[in-house]
Amino acid sequence: MSHFLIVGAALFSIGLYTVFSRKNAILVLIGIEFMLNAAILNLVAFGRYDRIDNEGQVFAIFAIVLAAATVAVALAIIINVYKQYKTIDPDKIKDMKY
Amino acid sequence: MILVWLILILLLGGLLSWLASRWNVLLARWIALGAVAVNFVLTAGIWFGNPVPVGWVAELDLEWIPRFGIHFHLALDGLSLLMLLLTFFLGMLGVLCSWKEISYRPGFFHFNLLWVLAGITGVFLTMDLFLFYFFWEVMLIPMYFLIGIWGHANRIYAAFKFFIFTQASGLFMLLAILSLYYVQAQQTGVYSFDYFDFLETPLPFKTAQWLMFGFLIAFIVKLPAFPFHNWLPDAHGEAPTAGSLVLAGLLLKTGAYGLLRFVVPLFPEPAMAFAPWGMLMGVIGILYGGKLAFAQNDLKRLIAYTSVSHMGFVMLGVFAFTELAYQGVVMQMITHGISTGALFLLAGMLYERTHTRDITRMGGLWKSSPALGAAMMVFVMASLGLPGLGNFIAEFLTLNGSWPANRLLTALAAVGLVIATVYSLRIMQKVFFGPMPQTWPAADLKPREYLIMIPLIAAIIWLGLFPQKTIETSGHAVTEISLKKGGSR
Amino acid sequence: MTSLIIVSVLAVAVLYLGLFKYKTALLPVSVTGLLAAAAMAAMDWDLEKMYFSEMMLFDNYAVAFSILLILTTLLIFGLSRNYFEKISNNVAEYYALMLFALAGGVVMVSFHNLAMLFIGIEILSISLYVLAGIRRKDPASNEASLKYFLMGAFATGFLLFGTALIYGATGSFNLAAIASSGAFESALFRAGVLLMMVGLSFKVSVAPFHTWTPDVYEGSPGLIAMFMATVVKTAGFAAFLRLFLMAFAEASAFWAITVAILCILTLFAGNITAVFQDRFKRLLAWSSVSHAGYLLLAILAVGFSASSAVLVYTIAYSLASVAAFGIMILVSRARGNDHLDSFNGLARTNPFLAFTLTLAVCSLAGIPLTAGFFGKFYVFKVALAQGYTWLVVLAVINAMIGIYYYFKVIIAMYMKENANAVAIQLNPGFRLVLSIVVFLIFLFGIFPGLIANIL
Repeated sequence: MSHFLIVGAALFSIGLYTVFSRKNAILVLIGIEFMLNAAILNLVAFGRYDRIDNEGQVFAIFAIVLAAATVAVALAIIINVYKQYKTIDPDKIKDMKY
Repeated sequence: MILVWLILILLLGGLLSWLASRWNVLLARWIALGAVAVNFVLTAGIWFGNPVPVGWVAELDLEWIPRFGIHFHLALDGLSLLMLLLTFFLGMLGVLCSWKEISYRPGFFHFNLLWVLAGITGVFLTMDLFLFYFFWEVMLIPMYFLIGIWGHANRIYAAFKFFIFTQASGLFMLLAILSLYYVQAQQTGVYSFDYFDFLETPLPFKTAQWLMFGFLIAFIVKLPAFPFHNWLPDAHGEAPTAGSLVLAGLLLKTGAYGLLRFVVPLFPEPAMAFAPWGMLMGVIGILYGGKLAFAQNDLKRLIAYTSVSHMGFVMLGVFAFTELAYQGVVMQMITHGISTGALFLLAGMLYERTHTRDITRMGGLWKSSPALGAAMMVFVMASLGLPGLGNFIAEFLTLNGSWPANRLLTALAAVGLVIATVYSLRIMQKVFFGPMPQTWPAADLKPREYLIMIPLIAAIIWLGLFPQKTIETSGHAVTEISLKKGGSR
Repeated sequence: MTSLIIVSVLAVAVLYLGLFKYKTALLPVSVTGLLAAAAMAAMDWDLEKMYFSEMMLFDNYAVAFSILLILTTLLIFGLSRNYFEKISNNVAEYYALMLFALAGGVVMVSFHNLAMLFIGIEILSISLYVLAGIRRKDPASNEASLKYFLMGAFATGFLLFGTALIYGATGSFNLAAIASSGAFESALFRAGVLLMMVGLSFKVSVAPFHTWTPDVYEGSPGLIAMFMATVVKTAGFAAFLRLFLMAFAEASAFWAITVAILCILTLFAGNITAVFQDRFKRLLAWSSVSHAGYLLLAILAVGFSASSAVLVYTIAYSLASVAAFGIMILVSRARGNDHLDSFNGLARTNPFLAFTLTLAVCSLAGIPLTAGFFGKFYVFKVALAQGYTWLVVLAVINAMIGIYYYFKVIIAMYMKENANAVAIQLNPGFRLVLSIVVFLIFLFGIFPGLIANIL
């Protein structure tokens, strides 16, 4: 059990690091996916103890579907941004300031 | 029920006046004047029907927000009655003096003026602390507009300063009111904002002290007492005449009223403990305000600083904790409202004629406008405390009442009277006598201006010669308050 | 429940209307549908019905917030005539996406299972990612969309991970089961609560997770920003409160201090930054951050009154925001930008607009006679009842700062002049919606009992 948790926590941390360190929106997106998948892994792992309802597994499927939907929207947005700016580095897309 | 009408007439009058100004400006002015006059007549009617009120003359208690124990609770005693008479009296003059002065968006002007008066009326009447805060704030926004839209050159800054000072201090009062509500609920299990419930609630000294400071800060900023007087010269100096009149004559009185009505009865022990400091603040206000008044060349700022000085007497009297001093405070509130209001009106008339507020540029105006000068003379004399005029009675009572409480501070306060003589005479000398640095096309008083000045002069002389009527009216209320002192709960 | 179905079906129907080019029918159909949805929601009052094996619970809390969300959307639709047409040809998309987002919002206020919370938030968010970037040719809109998406998806990661941990600690997603599980001491549970708090804080722009807010509000079209500031914020806070009230209330000793710190950070970050803004839209964005801080005060006071306080506050805030954003749209359209100077002289050219905006900012600043005063009062009251005096003192100081920047626009309108300003034309929709808002702000300001007694 704790192995799953460790893998999950590690995945989440890797994702977090990726989000903060990458200069490419696609890679940031991949980092976010890491985080989501870490959570999904945990859900399935915990689902073992919930044999009656299998809520964990059901939730995991929901989460995967929604993550896919998010990615679809995300790629559309990124393509659009690329057309406008010719770059997908979030740090360079800064027309607005405080 | 009549108490609600006093407020509603002003609110509706303001709206009607605003609407009417779309078609006819003169009609708007008459509606505004009429609304305030009706209120004055109604209040005077109550007064004549009951010249020596004992306890609560009229009361109205409706549920407003039952879930929190908030009531729409209005009540009128002798003190409130006098304050209301003053409010509507000065209110009428405020409309009259704007007759020619205000031509820019007059409808909106009268809307704001009447809503300020409505807020002030509410403050003087309400017996529910939530409602009190509500009205306390309601009078701010219209006042802000009065200064900010129709004021003089530096009006935006002045309006903003006024608003921030009073609003910030008011929020502390809100905090104190809310805390009081919960402290009471813990002590007695009653969830209520009612003044009379709070009067019954015993408070631990420490708690009471903190809560008192919440109230105190709101009232002494409004009063204003040294060192919170900073907003006043700007606001008074920049406001249009009617705005200065309402500010000096009425808004400052809400602070004094709050001290008498709430701080002393609700928190007697901490107020006693604070008394030496309060009296000291009063004396500093008297002397410092007088000194600054002497140094001003701007006529309206000068009068504004005299207000700081005169309100010092209120602080002194309130924290003297004697019945005599309280009588003096009530008299001071009324006579200062009339005399300083009149001085601002006269300053406004002078400004209409000379288009300046700088007294070094005036001079020798007695020749061209003796009636104006005579009126000014009366109120300058009132301001310096000449016997026979109302202010003398007020200051005499206050000093007499605070003598037993603190002799040194009272003696120092008496020095303030000397300073008052100096700055008051300086006004007369600079404006009406001496050489004329410029020739002004200055006309004497017009009929409308006579109509404004004669009642004021009559009132201040009447108060000076027959103060007994006024003292009797507020007598019972003041005795009640002075009985609260020193842990009578 | 019926109302949720109506909203979802309505969204699909609107898409089809767009497909078959019945553009003129879009607005009437949406408005009728929303009215029906609100009526249906009101029918559920006091029924307390559970749906889908306890996945959703339509209690009074859910009904009240659903109606608020639906009616706010209705007001926004009232302003939208001729608005979207200027942006693109596919008007139906806007209505459909906003309706989908609304459906997500309704799910968020009525969930009784963490799965539904997650689904609701995702429905709402995904629709909004698209709405924020819907002006495809406009770089600012694209930037807003990208930022909103990256931050939103990032927050979703936190939320989902937190959900998983809470599931691990308690063995269930059901709010009632979580509340009665008694696993409040375990590290797993506490980590889960904190992660969910972070995720939700991103969504409702609580500092220090608020950095996306001003850029996204500024880049998005005005009406969408209005939608974010009102419907999305209300739904987010209702969900936040519902989760903490129904599932984590017992563990409040542990998370309360965190919420208190977030509250202070949010208040100061929002208010102090707002002071330095000279564009009205950004000012409103920062002020919306600060309002999240006031709402957190109510969440601290977990208890019966907290939901009532949040409801009152969000009603007042939504009404005022609709008016403020609406007039911002009008002014920036007529005068080219939303700089505060553009509001100069508005009192002379458009007295009604100036009056409405004055009322709206007074309500946002919490000045009596307006609904916002009572909202603030109520929030302070519930926080004081829980003994957070120091926090309320700080909040009061922030309220003073708030007055400073809100009044800048009043000063501009009434006390500064713009010689070549011309009157702004209002279409009937604007006139109607703004009149309703003025009426309601006054009504709830004078008779706050009307909304304070709902919950």
